[in-house]
Amino acid sequence: MEQKLELSFVQQIKEHQNLIHKVCRIYTSCGDDHNDLFQEITIQLWKAYPQFRGDSKFTTWAYRVALNTAITLFRKKKRDINTFEINDDIHKIDFEEYDFEEEEQLKIMYKAIHQLGDIEKALVFMYLEDKNYKEISETLGISEVNARVKMNRVKTKLKQIINP
Amino acid sequence: MEGLDLLKKDWQKERNFPKITEHEIYTMIHKRSSSIVKWILVISVLEISFWIGLNFLLSDEKQKEMVNLYHLNIFMEITTVIHWAVLVVFVFLFYKNFRNISNISSTKSLMSSILNVRKIVQYYVWYNVIVTFLIFVAVWISMFFYDENLGKIFKKATDSGTEIGVWFGVGLSLIIMAFLICGFLWLFYRVIYGILLRRLYKNYKELEKIEL
Repeated sequence: MEQKLELSFVQQIKEHQNLIHKVCRIYTSCGDDHNDLFQEITIQLWKAYPQFRGDSKFTTWAYRVALNTAITLFRKKKRDINTFEINDDIHKIDFEEYDFEEEEQLKIMYKAIHQLGDIEKALVFMYLEDKNYKEISETLGISEVNARVKMNRVKTKLKQIINP
Repeated sequence: MEGLDLLKKDWQKERNFPKITEHEIYTMIHKRSSSIVKWILVISVLEISFWIGLNFLLSDEKQKEMVNLYHLNIFMEITTVIHWAVLVVFVFLFYKNFRNISNISSTKSLMSSILNVRKIVQYYVWYNVIVTFLIFVAVWISMFFYDENLGKIFKKATDSGTEIGVWFGVGLSLIIMAFLICGFLWLFYRVIYGILLRRLYKNYKELEKIEL
């Protein structure tokens, strides 16, 4: 039974691992932290997996656990060198589409996201993932109206960081 | 293209994230979590063990003699019964609240359930501090009535008119002791929970602020 569960879990993670990578992308700024967070999210998902009933989509369910881990449960290890470098190779687009100006702008955007608070990052993440306000409010535990207000504030804040 | 739209477009592209293999996932799920919940559990169990251990350490023959000498038998019996009753209730509440921590609940509920567990342990610690202090006060008061040596000192002080000075000294030592205990605990919480829960408190406050 346990083995069957393990097998189905590993398959789900393998299939949807980009979701976890994306959360790590928002919440960490160096490769080691990215890997640590990825591992902790996977452990937390595995711990909660017996409660996953399949009546919601695996991704919808996993978003919540992944964000909860990144915001609340994860303890970042202290590293000797505090790097602010993000893994640029992770988000490089195909060569044919490469646009230096756009790429530079994106770098600035990602740096700006890393300056936001944990809750604000969650809002940006769900905005980028095209989540509706109902889902955002349920994930964070706030009302839909307040989620909308906060989202607008975060967008404004992000714009201000980019164009001070 | 405007910044956020550009970002969204870029975000939704398939990325070259490092591919995690099935074997790596298997290895990961058999590793131990290093989440703050685990740390809170470890620290809480240590705190409870400390106070239970302290009770056992202090209840030796010497203490029994002292209780008899100072006529504190009934007082100690009552506090012991209360102490164990509180411990049982506390362990039950701790277990119940700890089980409530669920990583599939909303972010706010998860945070509040973690903070609830912390609150319960904190209440238990303060209860122990207050009871320990009260026992010290009771012992001190009884000493004045039943300790022969202290009686002699007081008699001497009364005769020489320095009684107030002795009372002052006793009061001062009690206050200093209370401050030392509270100071130590405050430092302990600042260091341990400051490191562990600072981020959680900050985020919880932010979520609460959104709802105002």
